[in-house]
This record gives sequence, structure tokens and C-alpha cells, in this order.
Amino acid sequence: MLSYEFLTTKKIEEAFDYLDKFSKVQILAGGTDLLVEIHKKSSRLPHFDYLLDIKNISELKFIIPIDNSIEIGPLVTHSRLINEPIIKNNFSILVVAAQTIGSAQIRNRGTVGGNIVNGSPAADLLPPLIALKAEVELTSKKGKRVLSLEEFLTGPYKTKLQAHELLTKIKIPLLGAGYYTDFQKIGRRKALSVARLSLALVTKIDEDSIFRDTRIVPGSATPYPQSFPKSEKAVNGKSIFNIDLEEISKITSNEMVSITGERWSTPYKKPTIAILIKRALEEIIQEAKINE
Amino acid sequence: MSKITVTFIVNGKEVTLKVRPQERLVDTLREQLKLTGTKEGCSIGECGACTVILDGKAVSSCLILTGQIEGSEVLTIEGLEVDGKLDSLQQAFIDHHAVQCGFCTPGMLMSAKALLIHNPRPSREEIKTALEGNLCRCTGYEQIIEAIESVTKN
Repeated sequence: MLSYEFLTTKKIEEAFDYLDKFSKVQILAGGTDLLVEIHKKSSRLPHFDYLLDIKNISELKFIIPIDNSIEIGPLVTHSRLINEPIIKNNFSILVVAAQTIGSAQIRNRGTVGGNIVNGSPAADLLPPLIALKAEVELTSKKGKRVLSLEEFLTGPYKTKLQAHELLTKIKIPLLGAGYYTDFQKIGRRKALSVARLSLALVTKIDEDSIFRDTRIVPGSATPYPQSFPKSEKAVNGKSIFNIDLEEISKITSNEMVSITGERWSTPYKKPTIAILIKRALEEIIQEAKINE
Repeated sequence: MSKITVTFIVNGKEVTLKVRPQERLVDTLREQLKLTGTKEGCSIGECGACTVILDGKAVSSCLILTGQIEGSEVLTIEGLEVDGKLDSLQQAFIDHHAVQCGFCTPGMLMSAKALLIHNPRPSREEIKTALEGNLCRCTGYEQIIEAIESVTKN
């Protein structure tokens, strides 16, 4: 069994003090990933001497609209995200993605910040958050810095979070008029499934029915979630009335393989991601036509 | 490694315990408090056998360290019965033969109870969603859903 000292606090300042004072500190929030890793004695788990429980820091549980964005505290649970009207009304894509996470028990305990910091290639919230151009605020005793979520993620289960830092805010800019979002996920079963493949699509359809500012971020497709610029470029400028979905599907499949190379899962994922991008675009086109 | 002193409420009674840094809520309930109605199945939050209600919400007690729940309120299967009378959900599980081997039953009941606390008239789909984290290898779920529906429709 792992041996460590348990630290817990309800105050954010005290958490920063602990992180400053001690080294080899592992942060614990909802525990829905970490306690599984501990139980499995996962090789991904770095050695730690202290476990710092931050779950009860109420200052990190906010959801507030500020200017043209919504700021979310990292300790907001998936259940809360799903039920919060302000999230439902502005970022339905996040609600749809959060609903696919684990089970009621997991959603009640697991946190948005945990999903981000854990950096799993299959993290359900990462593709929609990247597609929404979310930013993360990292704070330590020495100060704050803000990074885009996309640059924060550096590899599978790897991020730019430093040992003395805490994720303290997720900031999502509001989408203006004309924006549409869609989330697709394929798992082995409906509940409790780790995404085999997912895809978040955010795009604007202008008054001439042309796609603009398209953002395509698949999950479980690449070593860590990242946007697909070639696919985005291929969609931008096309009309919802004559976009060639087969062509876009091919571009997205090829873009995935250009990042991952041919892998054991490629024969499955290549045609499947083609279907996901096609479905996502079809759903958005249908919705846009109704709004015409 | 030093032990942690934690005070919380279990089934309406306040307890103060010393727990190990690695001690999970399921360990404390079963080993220290001898509340063995809560079962441990998969230990990784997938089977739901260890489900308890923490501050009004269904959670997997295998994924919570007891050190994390200072000041919280825990309801376990032992807390459903009041003054010798079974909770209506418990009685419904018996009446509808929703129990076979029984290992999943406490977790199923706690997930169902958590649902009804917030939503006394759930739809069939809402019942299924509330139970999606609880595996049963015997009943095929049908009788369990019927049992819960029988309570919500009365």
C-alpha cells in the first residue's frame, strides 16, 4: 500500500501554502480517477509523499458570468455542470458531454478541474472545452498565469501544471449569434463507458449560410485532444447547402492518421471518425436549416 | 504515517474516528463501524455495490477517502429502516423479487433512494439513468426498475 501523509484544507490560501512548503504533493479532488489509479497501482501515478485534499474548498466551486465569458471553478462537479441553467443555455455541448461521463455516482463526485488536469486522451470534457476556446488559470503563491486549454495540454496525461500550482479557474468565452455546437461519442456501452472515440464541433453559420470559425476537436483519436486545423479549414467557407460531407470526412480521417500514424486501432478509428464528423455536421446543418 | 481525526454523521449519528490516510469510506463503514451492508465489488467505481448517499447524493464509497468527509452526512443501507420499519423502497424490492443473490441490492437501493430524494416522480428513463452505475448480474434489472416504479407511482 502507498504510504503518504494526508493533508486537507477548506481554504485556498492554505492549499497554496502546502504546495509551497512541501514537495511531492499529489492533489486529490473528486477522486474518481486518482483513487482508481491508486487502487490499480498505476504506473502513470508519480511517486508522492503528501496527498492534498482540495475537494472541500468552497471558493473553487463557482459558476459566474463575467463580461463576455463564463468562469467555472475547477471543483464544480459534472452533475452540477449538467444542471446549471447558465451552462445549459450557453454551452449545451458541455452538458451533453458531461452526461456521458461514468455514472451518477461518478458525476456527483468527479470535477471539471479533475477532468482537465488528469489530461486523459479520453477525457469527455476536453474536446468540447478546447472547441469552446476555454482558458485555464493556474495559481501559486508566486502568482497567476493564464493559458489556453489547448496549450495547457502537452501529452497523454501531461499538462503544463507545475508542482506548486493549482488550477483555479476555467474561463469560457460566450459564443456569439449564429454559433452551433455538436458532440458525438462512441463507447462500448451507454453507461460507464470510456470514450472509444468522440468529437466536438463548434461552428458559426453566417447570414449567407456559410460555415465560419469552425473548430473540430476529436477525443480518443490522438494521444491527447487537439484541434484539427486542416478539417476546420476545409469546412470554413462552404455553404450548408452544398458542403461535400464525404470529402470532409476523408480529410478528418487522414488528418487523424497524419497525427497518430498507422496504429492497431486505425482500421477501426479511421472510418469511425469519418462517420462522427459527418454526423456532427449533418446535425448542425439540419438545425441551421430549421432556423433559416 | 499519522492518522487523521474525522467527525461526520452516519445514519443520523455523529461519529468521531481516527482513520488511516489511505482509508476509504467503504473501509471505515465496514471495518470500523461494522456497517457491512455496504458491499465492496470492483473497488474502482464501476459496479456500484459500495454506493452510499453523501450529503444527499449517491457516491461510490470506494472512491472517497474518509479523511475527505469531515462534517459530511452519510446515509447507508442500514439507515433506510426507521423504527423497525423498512423503507418503502426496501419493501418494494422484496415484493417485486428485485433481489436474487443480493450483493448489488444495497447499492441499488441507495442509488434509488438518492434519486427519490431529489425527484419523487422520476420517469422510467430517469430511473435507468440513476441506476446506470449499478451492475446486477442476476435479475436483468427489470424487477428492480418495477420495484422503484411501484414506489413512485403510489
